[in-house]
Order: sequence, then structure tokens, then C-alpha cells
Amino acid sequence: MTSPGRDAALVTLLLASVCGGLALAGPAVGPADALAAFTGHATPEVRTIVFALRLPRLLLALGVGAALALAGAALQNLLSNPLADPFLLGVSGGGAAAATVAYAALPAALLGAVPLAAVVGAACTTAVVWWMARGPLGGSSTRLILAGIAANAFTSAIILAVVATAPSTRLPGALAITMGSFAAATPAALAWLAPYLLVPAAVLAWHARDLGLLALGEESAAALGVEPGRVRQRIFLAAAALSGGAVAFAGVIGFVGLATPHLCRLVWGNDVRRLLPRVATAGAAFTALGDLVARRALSPVELPVGVITALLGVPFFVALLRRSP
Amino acid sequence: MAVGRCAIALLVAAQAGTLAGFEPVLDQVGALIAAGPSARIVTLAPDVTELVFALGAGDRVVAVAPHCDFPAAVVSRPRVHPGDPESVLAAAPDLVIASTAGNDPVVVQRLRSAAVRVATLDITSCTRLVEACRLLGALLERVPEADTLATTIAQRCAAAAQRAGRLPPRTALYVVWWEPLIVAAPGTFHDDLLRLAGLVNRAPSGGGRYPRLDPETLLDPALDLVVAPDERESRPLFAKLLTRPAGLRLARGSLPVLWLPADPASRPGPRLPVALEALVAAREANP
Repeated sequence: MTSPGRDAALVTLLLASVCGGLALAGPAVGPADALAAFTGHATPEVRTIVFALRLPRLLLALGVGAALALAGAALQNLLSNPLADPFLLGVSGGGAAAATVAYAALPAALLGAVPLAAVVGAACTTAVVWWMARGPLGGSSTRLILAGIAANAFTSAIILAVVATAPSTRLPGALAITMGSFAAATPAALAWLAPYLLVPAAVLAWHARDLGLLALGEESAAALGVEPGRVRQRIFLAAAALSGGAVAFAGVIGFVGLATPHLCRLVWGNDVRRLLPRVATAGAAFTALGDLVARRALSPVELPVGVITALLGVPFFVALLRRSP
Repeated sequence: MAVGRCAIALLVAAQAGTLAGFEPVLDQVGALIAAGPSARIVTLAPDVTELVFALGAGDRVVAVAPHCDFPAAVVSRPRVHPGDPESVLAAAPDLVIASTAGNDPVVVQRLRSAAVRVATLDITSCTRLVEACRLLGALLERVPEADTLATTIAQRCAAAAQRAGRLPPRTALYVVWWEPLIVAAPGTFHDDLLRLAGLVNRAPSGGGRYPRLDPETLLDPALDLVVAPDERESRPLFAKLLTRPAGLRLARGSLPVLWLPADPASRPGPRLPVALEALVAAREANP
């Protein structure tokens, strides 16, 4: 398939996820009624379901998917490590740990503050990981990964402790944070997520060329005019903001940040400037489709979206990996 | 000679125990509970505690699970952690009573392997509650009291169901938690409450006893009403839901919520008929 053909396939996938998310996603309204909502022939109830419930949820899934995929692509290039993803550096874990602690401990009237706790947790973990990775001669990719692994272990332990001790009424919600869900999507949540998505995405776009050069090695990149220390710091912070924002509003959704960049590289090659928009699009479409399956597979029972993204993504990823040269 | 006397004494004691009702019984998960005394009882769930006290055996309860708060005499009892066998064993019980609703079967097994008699109740309906009363009556040598309690519960449930039979059938969800939306599925005692109150549970099977549902389910026109325990903790979450699109029908009043007294509706114990009667009364007020 030619490159425009692949791009067209990606856009088709995105459109399919959007149409599916609006027309097929929930148990209360079927595709025909959902379509009627767009032609102005639907009841107010149907319009509410489509525009006030499904649309924010779809947009949140698209935004979170794009954020996770972008963060994964940035970190894989930054650290020259194919295993790098938002979880490897502990940022997602920090956000999830803070969110689960807040969910289990806060009075019911204050549960609206859980996303804020996740953002604070992700930011604190980012700062700690950055501090741990700094040595006498500055930071390095290896130290950053080791610091991230340590932070991940610590935050995982916190989450397990919360799950083990949470009151029975709070346990399902705490578990939902660790498995991902877009059920709490609202226009307000989207407004909060927007800066966490748009500003870091702009930073990554600005440094796309530098990211590509950093993959050649720091010395080569420096010889070509890149300031490795400053660029690494900015990209790390951008990836952390993307991951923290995603966890704050959707919980932990695995596999998207790890696999989507690899899938896109297998299809479009390694040019970071060409890759980033496609990674964002593919991550958005994949996550929205994952949410659609999570809602419809056992409807009206809702499965954790993180489980679906892994179940759907792994076979596809393995097939592509086996076919690649 | 002394050994022989001891053996005879033990035999006589065992025979006396059997005559007094110390007979092996099967609990509600099919485990055989050996004959033995029940002078030091530990209860691992609030509904179990309430049943033991309702049978008049509360004075033999030496420790209870942390959330046990009814009847008032329970409040001063020492607490054990139901997930920690050591904490249970430290109370030196000769009988532990657990529930499938909240107790880990692995912990139950570990207690049994430590030679402790453990009876597990599996109360998934009013009928099973009546059976549990009689089982505990046999275990605690409170057979007349258990018969009385079981008969009272059965009669009250039957009377409430008869009243509900005169009401038009409706579809309903039993909401355990508002965000995420957790409901009671078929096979739970909550489902049985709905059935006895003439309601058809809209929660699906196959997603576990308490599945998480898509919030859009609350906007399904085929759903007539929602039943929920009136818990202090859940009220703010309900109020929050009213401001969201998923709570539109609730906010407009086109999807009524029938609130039940929290503890009786959340514990399949002797107060379960209170919850059922409250549900039927609420239905009669909102036919």
C-alpha cells in the first residue's frame, strides 16, 4: 500500500471509531435513532444521549488515546528504548496511585477532586524521577529508566495497599482507576484535559526534528545543533504531562502508549516529524475502538477499557511484528 | 486404668453432646461442620453477627468483624480482621461463622486446617436466609428460637410478596454504587428482593454478581425505576449524578428512586424483611 493509501486507511479507521462511538456505543439508543439525532429528527432524550453522553466520552477516548500514544512515541525516541512508554517512567503509576488513594480515602462529597489528585501525583512522581535520574555528571537515559522502574514499583505497591484495604463500597471505583474507564467523561473533564494534551503535543511537534536526531545518539545530535539536556527535559516533561492528564481522567490504560508508536513505525517508518501526527491519530482511533468494544461486548455490562486495548492490540501487534522485515 | 476412665468419660461426653444437639451439620457451601461446642463464637460478617444475636446466642460471641454495629451489644465486642486468620485464631474460637458475601474462602480453609470449626453461610435469597436460620439453630443449639425466627422471616417475606403481587410489574435496577454504576445481578439477595417486590431486574447475568454498568443504562426507556440503599456515603454521588446527562431521567423524576433503609437492605440478615417491606411500601406509594 502506498503512503497516501496508508494515511487514508488510518483516517478511515478514525472515522469508523467516531461513527461507532456515536451510533453503536451504548445500550439505550440504537444506530438508527443515533443517526436521527444528527438529522434533527430525534427525541430530546436521544439527543441528550448522543451529544451529552456519547460525544464527550468519545472525545475523551480520542484525546487520551492520542496523549498516551504521543507520550510513548516521545519516550521511545528520547530514551532510544523500544520498551519505553508512559508506564515505564512511573508517571502513570504516580497518577494512578494518587487517584486510588484519594478515591479510597476522601469523603464522598470530595470525590470530584480525584482527577486533581491524579495530576498532582503524576507531577510529583515526574519531579522525583527526574531528581533520582540526576547524577554528578547530569542525567542519562539509563538512569532515567532505572529511576522510572523504581518509581513504578513504589507506586504499584501503594495501589496494591489501597486495593487491599479500601472499604468494600470504594473498592470497585478504586479498581476502575487501575483498569481504565471513560464513563466519567464530561465537557468539564474535556476542558481540563485539553491543556494537558495540546501544550505537550505542541512541545513535541516543536522538537520533532530534535527527537529524531537524539535517536542517533547524544553526541551526534549535539554536533547537529541539538542541546540534549534541555531537549530531554522538555520532552520528558511533555510526556509526563500527557500521561498524567490521561490517567487523571481515564485511569490506567495500558498498551496504547507502548504499541501504537511501534505499529506506526512499522507502517510509516522512523521519521519522527511524519510519525507523530500518525501516532496521535492511530492512538486516538485505537482507544476509541477499544472503548466501543468495552461497552458493547457484554452490554450493558462495561468491561475495563485497558483490558480491551491489550486484548485487541496484542494479536494485531504480533501479526505486524511477524510480517515486518 | 486411668486412660480407660478418660476414654469412657470422653465417650459419655460425646454421647451427651450428640443428645444435646451437637451433631455434624452441612453448612450452606456443603462443608461438613463437626460436632462440637459453640461457647466461643467469632462472626466474620455483619449479617452473620445479626443472625447469631437474633437467635439469642450473642452472649457467646467473643469477637466480630470490624463493620458489625448491630445490635447495640455488638459495639463493645473485640474486633478481628476477617482476612487475617491469625487475628481470628487469637480470639480462641470454637466456632467461626463466615459468609460467602464478604469472606475469603482461602481464609476459611486456613482456619479449618488449623482445626477450627467454620460454618459458611451463603444467603442469596429469603429462602436461603430461612435455611441459614435453621442451620445456625442446629449449630448453636437454639433450634426453637431458630424455628421461630425462620418462620417469622418467611411469613413476613410471603406477606410482602403477596402485597407486591397486587401491583403492576415493573423493571428495575438495584444500584449498589452510583459512580461507577454498580448494580446487583441475578443470583444475589438484592435480586431476590426485587423479585419478591414484583420487579424484574434489568441487570444482566454473566458479568458477575455486582457488575459495573454503562451509565447510559439509566436512560434506557425500558427501565421503570431504581432501587438503592439510603447510605450516607452514596448521597453525594447521587446528587452529582443528577447534574450529569446520565442522570437526566433521575433529575426529571421520570426514573424514580426507591430508597431503602441502608443496613437492612445491604445485609442479608434477620432485618431483610424490613428492607422488603420498605420496598413494597415504596412501590405502593409510587405505583
